[in-house]
Amino acid sequence: MNEFLDFAAEHLPYILAGVPTTLALWAIAITFGFFFGLVLAWCRIYAPALPYWAATTYIEVFRGTPMLVQMLFIYLGLPEIGITLDPFSSAAVAIGLNTSAYQAEYFRGAIQSIPLGQMNAARSMGMTDLQGLIYVVLPQALRRVIPQWSNEAILELKFTSIAFAVGVTELTARAETIGFKTFRFFEIFLIVAAVYLVLTATVAQILQFVERRTAVPGLSLQSQ
Amino acid sequence: MSALLSVQEIRKAYREEEVLKGVSLELDKGTTKVVMGPSGTGKSTLLRCINYLTPPDAGRVWLDGEELTRRNLNRLREDIAFVFQDFNLFTHLRAIDNVRLGPRKIRGHSKKRADEIARRELERVGMSDKAQSYPAELSGGQQQRVSIARALAMEPKVILFDEPTSALDPELTGEVVAVMKLLASEGMTMLLVSHEVSFARSAADEIVFMEGGHIVEQGRPSELFANPQNPRTRRFLQMITDHHDPDTPDRLAGAAR
Repeated sequence: MNEFLDFAAEHLPYILAGVPTTLALWAIAITFGFFFGLVLAWCRIYAPALPYWAATTYIEVFRGTPMLVQMLFIYLGLPEIGITLDPFSSAAVAIGLNTSAYQAEYFRGAIQSIPLGQMNAARSMGMTDLQGLIYVVLPQALRRVIPQWSNEAILELKFTSIAFAVGVTELTARAETIGFKTFRFFEIFLIVAAVYLVLTATVAQILQFVERRTAVPGLSLQSQ
Repeated sequence: MSALLSVQEIRKAYREEEVLKGVSLELDKGTTKVVMGPSGTGKSTLLRCINYLTPPDAGRVWLDGEELTRRNLNRLREDIAFVFQDFNLFTHLRAIDNVRLGPRKIRGHSKKRADEIARRELERVGMSDKAQSYPAELSGGQQQRVSIARALAMEPKVILFDEPTSALDPELTGEVVAVMKLLASEGMTMLLVSHEVSFARSAADEIVFMEGGHIVEQGRPSELFANPQNPRTRRFLQMITDHHDPDTPDRLAGAAR
């Protein structure tokens, strides 16, 4: 046990130095996915045929193909047509595009769960559909979507690990490096798994806190 | 065009079924009209066609001399407030914020001004003490009063009421009717679809009786209630004054034919 602790103490600083990279990758991707997901959801609900089908196709393509393939395509495939991205950018773009497809569907479900009367009340006051969405429907839908969105946020935090395949030195890549240097894969992957667990648990706690703080009578899922 | 609200030859069909077969009516400033009639005769559809919540198939609507078009729809809707049967208060907002949203975001008033308006209108409907409550914490009658305050806060030229008491328990309709009577007496221009006989009798300037997508008869409440000319009007009024149940006469009238 002492030996394990010594090993951990020795290599933890190097591992932890990957936390900012992992978190940055995650934050960029999940934020991009949030806003682009909202746009896609808008297209799926309110837009005319052309943007509707464009959004639907996009979602099906990105949900239907592996994220690792998408990432390798961006990093190794796109340079052939003159678009060259560094490893971090390739990973961020791939994860962001991928999560936007999933988030779009969560948002669509949440928006459509808000009774039509809410939008009609907004329209009857002279609001455009976009104003109705911003002032009335989204504030309700976003509260409702927090549980599913938490799932997606945690999932994507773990998915940042595949960025190691395109050479980003995030947590997993660092663990692998130490593993090959020391040949103590058992210990090092336990350690890095624990680091992920701390991160995901923290994110889960924060989102639960947000869910409680924004709860409104008659709207939150808890109060039923 | 002297009338504040003028509706001409509104037609609306759902699939094959024509619900409105060319309905016209005019509403003068400061007057109250109540549209009555058996259920399924297009009363609510008429109201929703007036502000294009349900776009009519044909017909024209003027507000204060300006014709409603796709282009000016949102601007004119600011002046045509709508009170819904099931309230439709914004679930995520406290009562005061429900009332404040329109003046602040749509009318573009300052924060302070919007706040003043919201407080004034909540006071007017007797809901000041519930300003901080969420809709889910209010009774149906209270929710409807807040939604009337929300309509008033837009400082509209006319308010359309779509069966404002139909979703309420009988003991709660009184408080909403009282608010509507107050507004009528203050000179608000109002068009209602309602079965509230007591309100129609005492507060309406005119009753419009609709059946089968047509206006069958209209007149002052004293005349219409005392001496309806059309036999259908007579039968309907008899039923609702006897039973206060708007659904019964429709079925009975159908059976009698």
